[in-house]
Amino acid sequence: MTKHDESRRAFLVGGAIGAGAAASAALVPEAFAKSHKHDAAMDAPAANHGADHAMSGMSGGHGAFFNDDDSRTITAFTERLMPGAPGKPGATDAGVLNYIDLALSGAYEDQQDFYRRGVAQLDAHCSQTYGKPFRSLTAAQQDETIAVIEQGKAPAFAWPTAQAFFDTVRTHTMEGMFADPIYGGNTNFAGWRLVGFPGAQMQFTQEDMQSKRAFTREPIIGLQSRAKRKEG
Amino acid sequence: MATEKTDVVIVGVGAAGGILAAELGKAGMKVIGLERGPRFKTADFEPHDELRYFQRQDLRPNMKRDPVTWRPNVNARANTMPSLNNGNQAGGGTVHYGSLSWRLHEDDFRVRTKTIERYGEQAIPPDSSLVDWPVSYAELEPFYDKAEYELGVSGKAGNLQGNKIEGGNIFEAPRKREYPLPPLLVDQSAVLFEAGAKKIGCHPFSSPRAIISQPYQDRPGCTYCGFCQAFGCHVGAKSSILVTKLPEADATGNFKLITGAMCYRVNSDNTGRVTGVSYYGPGRSDNTIEADLVIVAPFIYDNTRLMLLSKTEKFPNGLANSSGHLGKHIMAHMMASVFVTFDDRYINNFMGPSAQKHTIDDFNADNFDHSGLGFIRGAQLSIGTPNLEGGPIAASTVPPPPGTPRWGAAYRDFFAKAYARHGAMVAQTENLPYPDQTIDLDPNVRDAWGMPAPRVTYDWRRPNERARVEFVQKKLVEIGRAMGGPHVWPAPVSPAGAPGAHHEGGTRMGSDPKDSVVNKYGQTWDHPNLFLIGSSTFPTMGTGFNPTLTIQALAYMSADAIVNRYRKNPGALL
Repeated sequence: MTKHDESRRAFLVGGAIGAGAAASAALVPEAFAKSHKHDAAMDAPAANHGADHAMSGMSGGHGAFFNDDDSRTITAFTERLMPGAPGKPGATDAGVLNYIDLALSGAYEDQQDFYRRGVAQLDAHCSQTYGKPFRSLTAAQQDETIAVIEQGKAPAFAWPTAQAFFDTVRTHTMEGMFADPIYGGNTNFAGWRLVGFPGAQMQFTQEDMQSKRAFTREPIIGLQSRAKRKEG
Repeated sequence: MATEKTDVVIVGVGAAGGILAAELGKAGMKVIGLERGPRFKTADFEPHDELRYFQRQDLRPNMKRDPVTWRPNVNARANTMPSLNNGNQAGGGTVHYGSLSWRLHEDDFRVRTKTIERYGEQAIPPDSSLVDWPVSYAELEPFYDKAEYELGVSGKAGNLQGNKIEGGNIFEAPRKREYPLPPLLVDQSAVLFEAGAKKIGCHPFSSPRAIISQPYQDRPGCTYCGFCQAFGCHVGAKSSILVTKLPEADATGNFKLITGAMCYRVNSDNTGRVTGVSYYGPGRSDNTIEADLVIVAPFIYDNTRLMLLSKTEKFPNGLANSSGHLGKHIMAHMMASVFVTFDDRYINNFMGPSAQKHTIDDFNADNFDHSGLGFIRGAQLSIGTPNLEGGPIAASTVPPPPGTPRWGAAYRDFFAKAYARHGAMVAQTENLPYPDQTIDLDPNVRDAWGMPAPRVTYDWRRPNERARVEFVQKKLVEIGRAMGGPHVWPAPVSPAGAPGAHHEGGTRMGSDPKDSVVNKYGQTWDHPNLFLIGSSTFPTMGTGFNPTLTIQALAYMSADAIVNRYRKNPGALL
């Protein structure tokens, strides 16, 4: 791991501990409130919205693998897969780009070329169809593009196939939303709060098991906050 | 090259190998166990990390290092399978399994005879190699009992010496005594499934699991943390071989475990005796163990592969293969899923042991009349979590209901609402054995040690199997509706023909050396001092039940035969 990653990871961890210890909001999606720049209007250029987040620190960092353009593309793509809205954190809020960027420079190193070629083919498809790369399209055009790719109807794709590219980015988006924050996504447990998952709990009681209501006991537990608590 | 001598070498110290290590060690035999993976401690399982253990499968074989390839038929090119469910550490799959612990039914051991009696011979697909087992339930019962008590299984009897008991599995074979531990607590998915299944006339019960519901043998009871299938247990409540039999084997003073050891050959001489094994150790050292008795007990791929890799001039088709049946009759459970979500109530199925929590046996084996259905045998129907694990990454693999996309704002809102309000039902369907479902050596793909990868040729999409899957998936939909779920939908069943869970076969047991590889003790017909133990010896799947307890009962039976009979007359057939 490079020094840069270490410091970035340490920064992320700091965020996670704070969230675990300080959050007092009930653990239900409705209760998740956070100032959030609303999803760009569907006909406005979507790229800047994503790029703002991508370039602004921990909510969507990159640098381990993606270049600036590709990071904008992946930010935009993953945000359309899991869009944020007020009270509903999306891929950008959760730091999905940062998760994928770190994964591709580590555990998923063998998928670097998959992403490189996938993004190039995506942009080739968008240039043929709209005369612009994916990151510069409106949100509506981006959605249209993703739908075509999901169905494998984009002839610009050879390897990876359009469907394989969609499936992989979707899977990695879900990982970035819902994996422990230690891996660089799920910032401040954004994904877990969205769906109501309480994290790395060590036990549930009989009363918990009998409840027909949402489980809202705080704190949400992340791996490093738990390890820290044990040491302390 | 280092050479060691010992009485017994066991390759693979998992569900079966761990039991043999403890039993043979207790009987005074010097045992060396070889394990390709590491030996973990309970404290290693503290991180409840869904990405690492569920998604990236940290306790399972790394398919880049240990590939197994698959092709649907002999004309297709084989590709490396994305993942496998067996273990990659001391304790094997019992470290991360869902711990379902089933006995087979009495008639499962004479499935061919009973099927013909009830439906006629034409009910059996002509290309299937469905056979009776060479062992009966009555023979195995004491060993099932021993496994349940020595390991620690929680459940409720449904048939105590012939008396049917409400609340247990009334279809189960008669058992001598109750389970050693009461059933695990039920979660809300089980409560709903219980009510729904009863409404359509079925007999639901808490699945028996090798997870202790109370303190037992100095181990604490389950904490219901939910990080269960795919994870090691952070308190040691899962009755894995790692926390039960390995400490027992250690205590005998007769057992030595070598980790990081990849066995690449069983050595033999020209008399038909095996003389020991060779293995690559840490740092790729090349080592040999000379042993009077060789027990091979890894997952099924390595059983067949090792026999093929160990061929000699005298045994050109591999060891234990005079019948020509080595590597044939591969089987796997196909999984058909149905999902149910509620609008108004939470299920929170991230709580409690995550796999197959509550079960009905009504449509399993031959527990229902198959006349006119177009298929034989059945499935275990149960409720639990998607892909047997309760975290949100597992839930993100659930195909959303028809009309809901897999991405975008509509998907986000579906997921945010459904995650804590859903139940996942699965029908685990028994597949019949077919001789053309095989394991051999892949001519193109090699593992990290340079050995050819095992290659599976398998396609579950046969008429009998398709009809069964369709039937049981409809039953699950009925149960979902009876549960009161406003949203009930089936997942598409695997469009490709790849094997599902619990791969079995390849070294099938029988009573005739001409059509089987081993006898009921796992002793190879061709080399009486070589035993192959594990689900590779299953001649049929038995049922839609998970195989581990039957593997363990058979391991106890083999250990008993080795200690009390074989040892008195080594080298003879049992």
